[in-house]
Amino acid sequence: MNVLRLPAVALIAFIALLASSTESLAQAGVFDLVRLMQLLSLAPEAEVAYTEKKYSSLLAEPIVSSGTLSYRRPDTVEKNMTAPRSERFRIAGEELIVVRNGAERRLPLSSQPLLSAFAASLRGVLAGDAALLRSHYRLALEGEEQGWRLEMIPLEEEISRYVERITVSGRAGRIEEIEVRESSGDRSVLQVR
Amino acid sequence: MARLRSTLGVLFSRSAVRYGLALLCFSALGLVAAKTLRIESDFTAFLPPSATPEERLLIAQLRDGLVSRLMLVALHGADENTLARASRGLAEKLGHAPEFDYAANGSLNQFAVQGEVLMRHRYALSPNVNSQHFSAPALRAALEEQLAQLGSPFGMLSRTILARDPTGEFLATLRQLDPGSMPALRQGVWFSADGQRAFLIAQTRAPGFDSVRQASAMATVRKALAEVNPKVEITLTGSGVFAAESRRLIERDAVNLSLCSAIAILAMLLFVYRSALPVALVLTPVTFGLLIGVLVVQALFGSVHGITLGFAATLLGEAVDYPNYLLLNTAAGETARGAARRIGRTLALAVLTTVASALALTLSSFTGLAQLGVLTMVGITVAGLATRYLIPWLLGDRVLDFRRLHVPAGAAAAQAGWPRMIGLAATVCGALWLASTYPAWWERDLASISPVPEEMRAMDLRLRREMGAPETSLFLASRGASETAALQVAEEILPVLQEWKQAGWIRSYDSPAWYLPAPATQTGRLRSLPDTPTLQKNLDEALHGLAFRADAFAPFVRDVAAARVQAPLTRAAYAATPLGAKLNALVVELEGQWLVLTPLVGVSDPGKLAASLSAMPEGGSRGRSSDTTQLVDLKQISTQMVDGFSRAALRQAAVGTLLITVLLILGLGSLKRTLHVAAPAAAALVVTAAVLTAGGQRLGVFHLVALLLVLGIGLNYALFFERTPADAAERERTRLALAVCSISTFTTFGFLSLSATPVLHAIGSTVALGALVSLVLSALWARPSFS
Repeated sequence: MNVLRLPAVALIAFIALLASSTESLAQAGVFDLVRLMQLLSLAPEAEVAYTEKKYSSLLAEPIVSSGTLSYRRPDTVEKNMTAPRSERFRIAGEELIVVRNGAERRLPLSSQPLLSAFAASLRGVLAGDAALLRSHYRLALEGEEQGWRLEMIPLEEEISRYVERITVSGRAGRIEEIEVRESSGDRSVLQVR
Repeated sequence: MARLRSTLGVLFSRSAVRYGLALLCFSALGLVAAKTLRIESDFTAFLPPSATPEERLLIAQLRDGLVSRLMLVALHGADENTLARASRGLAEKLGHAPEFDYAANGSLNQFAVQGEVLMRHRYALSPNVNSQHFSAPALRAALEEQLAQLGSPFGMLSRTILARDPTGEFLATLRQLDPGSMPALRQGVWFSADGQRAFLIAQTRAPGFDSVRQASAMATVRKALAEVNPKVEITLTGSGVFAAESRRLIERDAVNLSLCSAIAILAMLLFVYRSALPVALVLTPVTFGLLIGVLVVQALFGSVHGITLGFAATLLGEAVDYPNYLLLNTAAGETARGAARRIGRTLALAVLTTVASALALTLSSFTGLAQLGVLTMVGITVAGLATRYLIPWLLGDRVLDFRRLHVPAGAAAAQAGWPRMIGLAATVCGALWLASTYPAWWERDLASISPVPEEMRAMDLRLRREMGAPETSLFLASRGASETAALQVAEEILPVLQEWKQAGWIRSYDSPAWYLPAPATQTGRLRSLPDTPTLQKNLDEALHGLAFRADAFAPFVRDVAAARVQAPLTRAAYAATPLGAKLNALVVELEGQWLVLTPLVGVSDPGKLAASLSAMPEGGSRGRSSDTTQLVDLKQISTQMVDGFSRAALRQAAVGTLLITVLLILGLGSLKRTLHVAAPAAAALVVTAAVLTAGGQRLGVFHLVALLLVLGIGLNYALFFERTPADAAERERTRLALAVCSISTFTTFGFLSLSATPVLHAIGSTVALGALVSLVLSALWARPSFS
């Protein structure tokens, strides 16, 4: 179902883009990656509520979790899960700090390529840093300012072994959904409420 | 007149035939040497012979152990990104190179084969496996934990094997493999803490002592890096690198310095004789001596050590003295035959005493030193015989005509009493200094024998520290009659090791019993696995009410069923993996017994560990006294070995000295004359040793060898001086001969002391100094007084 829908969405977005192209050209500027990054970089720091669904071939039904997601400039991202249990992930500086079951674990981002690529995707999108994103991913942008979709495909073999692609979609400077599709077929969809 | 000319013609043609014969002989020997000579550079040939099993273990580890095969590669001189990329590229290339078993750079996907072995045998390896581990409640707890992890974005690695391993045995197995001693990771590969250097560890197929193959492995690394990124700089270190580098250095030094000293001596000879023929004649005994000596060593030992060969060049300095002494002693108008007859006795004694001093070396049970001894004995004897018989035969009745240089006597000073007293005072002071500072100047570090220059060793140490991989010298050695028994013993000590770690007595340990548990332990674990219906029932019960699909863990059930009928994991399963290489080094057979070595890191007090071990009941649970675990301190063993060797060498030197004394008494036929000859030589030894140690030098094996040489040279000088000259002309000739002899010795060994190789430097500086002191003291003491 999902697999079928994705190309369809892409197609619609593409047609919409074609249809609107003459119109947007007539406007002040084209909606492109530069514009999107500009919009994202101007977005205010915020704390938003999210719901995440995890789909896996091992699961009869997706696992649903929820909490808050916050971003502070220049590079602090925090995911605070509150349900079904309390768990905190925080990327700050060169570290990932995980608090689970009351225990804190610190991991240097550079220790695992997967970690640093993951952190880069979050930070790059939140800060509107195209260069950071490009150092780890091939980027493809679809849609328009009021409904865009940024697809990121890992460049390094060490990452693509686990992550097939990360898709972020949103409206203007606001991120609405982050989908991580793993190479195993598992995926997770995080939606901002 | 015509008759005279024809006689001369006959003479000339006859001597031409003789020269031709000698040249032919020489060429034949040279050809044989060039064809058959096999040079080796295994520095362990210069290690003391090993008496105890622990010492043999040390030698085995040094020669062919795990440590000896590891090559440390440091990449630097570029930014972090570039270095990380270069590290990946290099690891990839070296992984396929035939010279290496593996090349690790810390990246996770590197140990794919090893990971598969651990994964396949996880139920035999995981310490968590027991009969309760797969009960419904235990499974439920494990599944709930996995569900929680599934929601987190960072468990991707373990998630790929979740369906096969929901209880996490693979991770439990991995966690045992000591991560404490690994360097920091940046961009997924090993880096120094400051990010300046990326590290790789490569294990060579060739043993560490095989310098030729090690050199080719080093070339492979350099070539691979040049293909990956030629701008990145590289530093290589490790035992194998040392072997290859020291071979290169020794060869370079031996060739260059021998060449330099040969040129210098040639120049001096040309200056002295001003004629080509005498110079060629002087060089004849030396070259014959060297060639025959090397060939005899080759015949006796099968190969010639690089160091022996380097040392061979120094023989030049001593052997060249004999023909000089002969030629310079021929009076104007005298044939060489006549002079040879006159000085024959002195020459014979000089040769014999040197041979006696080298005899001590020959008796040594070190291959390296024995080779030196044989080479010296043969070379000197041949040179002596050639001087006594070959040169007179070559010259026949021909009278050599060369200008005899005048050497200012300075005899008045020597005749006066006070310089003699200064010599005596210097000797007494030297002896007192040596006695008062003993044994501080005795070298006890095995590393001193290594031909590796100091700065290379320092670099190795620094890189090892940066890598967080300190060299371990402390091991637990668990002994057993078979591999299985030894592993069992090593396993029984694990709880003790854990206690030590908790008490802070050791920082970490790396037990082979973790990745190769004794077969009994493995079978025990596998037997505790439930059969398929039981496991399925437990799993269904555990899954009840969880979000997992009912059939999600079918691969797990299949894997457990397969594990139940699996044969125990053996060392062979790890073939061609880093762990396999480690096991081969840590599980060794030694004289019919098996040893399992557990390296200990960060030991605060070895005494405490030894006491704790000896307090344990003998023989572990099975009460056999042969199955025990002992603490082995390689550093301490090596110190003992060097001490033991030094004592043996001193004993041999004492035997040599006794022999020399007997020879002198017999040869000179007088105790008084013997004293005249022996006193300056002995005093020269004392003064030389005192000057060296006062300069902060520690005396090691090679200094001892050099001192024996000094003794030989010193005796030669003293003998030459001591011989009562018939007249003033002869006295002058003797002076010239001795001046030439000592200059040549000083030149040869002076050049040698410039070598970067510790061995050659030690010998060079000791002998150069010793020769000088010997000359002065002989001049002062040995000359017969003309009252």
